[in-house]
Amino acid sequence: MAQDGPVLDIRAAQPSFDESGMAPVPVDLRLMPGDCAVIECRDFARATLFADLCSGMIALASGSVRFMGLDWTELGDRQLYALRGRIGRITRRGSWLDLFGTHQNIILQQLHHTTRPTDDVVADAMRLGMAFGFPGLPLTGPGRLSAADLARAACVRAFLGRPDLLVLEDISDMLPPDATVAFLEAITAARDRGAAVMWFARHAATWADYRPAVNVHLRLLDEGLFPVRGV
Amino acid sequence: MTAAPVPSDAPGDSPPDGRLGRLMSILARVRPVLAWVGRLTRHQVRFVLALVGAAWGVVRESMRPNSWRRTVREEFRLCLRQVVAGGLLSTLITATLTGLMVVWQAVYWLGFAGMAQMTGSILVSVLVREIAPVLVGIILLGRSGMLVLTEIGILTLGGQIRALQAQGMDPFLLLVLPRTCAFMVGGFTLGILFATISLLMGFIITHSAGVITTSVWTFFANVLMAMSSWDFLVIPLKFILVGFFVGLGACMTGLLVDAEDTIATLMPRGFARGIMTVLVVNILFSMGG
Repeated sequence: MAQDGPVLDIRAAQPSFDESGMAPVPVDLRLMPGDCAVIECRDFARATLFADLCSGMIALASGSVRFMGLDWTELGDRQLYALRGRIGRITRRGSWLDLFGTHQNIILQQLHHTTRPTDDVVADAMRLGMAFGFPGLPLTGPGRLSAADLARAACVRAFLGRPDLLVLEDISDMLPPDATVAFLEAITAARDRGAAVMWFARHAATWADYRPAVNVHLRLLDEGLFPVRGV
Repeated sequence: MTAAPVPSDAPGDSPPDGRLGRLMSILARVRPVLAWVGRLTRHQVRFVLALVGAAWGVVRESMRPNSWRRTVREEFRLCLRQVVAGGLLSTLITATLTGLMVVWQAVYWLGFAGMAQMTGSILVSVLVREIAPVLVGIILLGRSGMLVLTEIGILTLGGQIRALQAQGMDPFLLLVLPRTCAFMVGGFTLGILFATISLLMGFIITHSAGVITTSVWTFFANVLMAMSSWDFLVIPLKFILVGFFVGLGACMTGLLVDAEDTIATLMPRGFARGIMTVLVVNILFSMGG
């Protein structure tokens, strides 16, 4: 989908403290297609909540969060879920369904939201899987995979398809070093396609190799989201 | 204007204070009980209202072709296989045992009382219309409903339902709709199998014992002749609705867990709700008939 305006536009969005537990401070952020924002955040839970806020899953006391020009609060359930299908997300929250094999978990979002032939989706997932160090796609249940393999699988799932926004929580402590290059290449490829990237990092070392390509650098604290000078 | 000082031991003040104190003390004792009753009532009413709303949601969503995406169809297929294949053996054994007991007893005692011509209508009223839906409902609940409840309950407690939502997948569409529909189809399939097998087994035993001498076709023709047009509607409808509400109740109980719930608290609650659902559906139709 061609996108001229911002992919993500957060304007004075103040999360409802009662419902989310997030500090009720207004947040502003605008990501254009191809932008890569690194958000330093020490607290994993806070990063997950902020990612939820960007995905329209946190009630707002005031302000607005727009994704691809659409305000989350103005959408019906169907549109809301369809729009979230355009976000590729890596989360630290337990997100693997033990009802299915890992391969099904990986391709589930694409099968649900697109009409692409299943074979194409599987081939695409296998290509990404091999890039991230799998011999193909893992068929076993997610409960039987190691943390490293789950991190690889999370990357494959997030980058699969053509997401317009990538919300990547920090899994650098689990992702094996041999997958780091593939991770950075996948980010670059997505940005070249016009996707915006929001990358949460606990330490500067996590994204040091990618620093020259990052154009937005922020820090997420309890008091709000603050720009960091000197990128 | 000055107010006259009121002595602290004025006789007019003491009795109201005493009454108020007693009232407060009674209230303090009754309040926890009232709070418990209120909490229980709200909890139960909340579930019933959620069930009614979800039932309407399933009916409405199932009518939309867009709801039946490949992920939903696949979930429906898997769940239907689990419900029918998982409950088949239990249904056959229970139907056989029920047929042996009910048909044998009905045929024997009606023949003894000289009312053998009532056999068909008694079997339809008792076995097919009343007993079969209850037993099929219990089999569905035990074999598949509790499994669904556990699966969805674990997903909700583990936060995976929220992760599904973050990926843009509506848990109602992906989990509740296909499973409820699978239970509905499974309930009808197992119910018809149950009724047929129980009658057939009853016939085989009574025929081999010489209690009845008619052919199997005459026996089934008698049963069909004893059925009214209402029976032809209400019996399949009971099987369908028992399956529908057992499946929906299990899914909704799994989705509506509280933060302090565990599987140990969830399963007894789900079982009690399932049994209540089966009985309520049957009683409502029995009263209607």
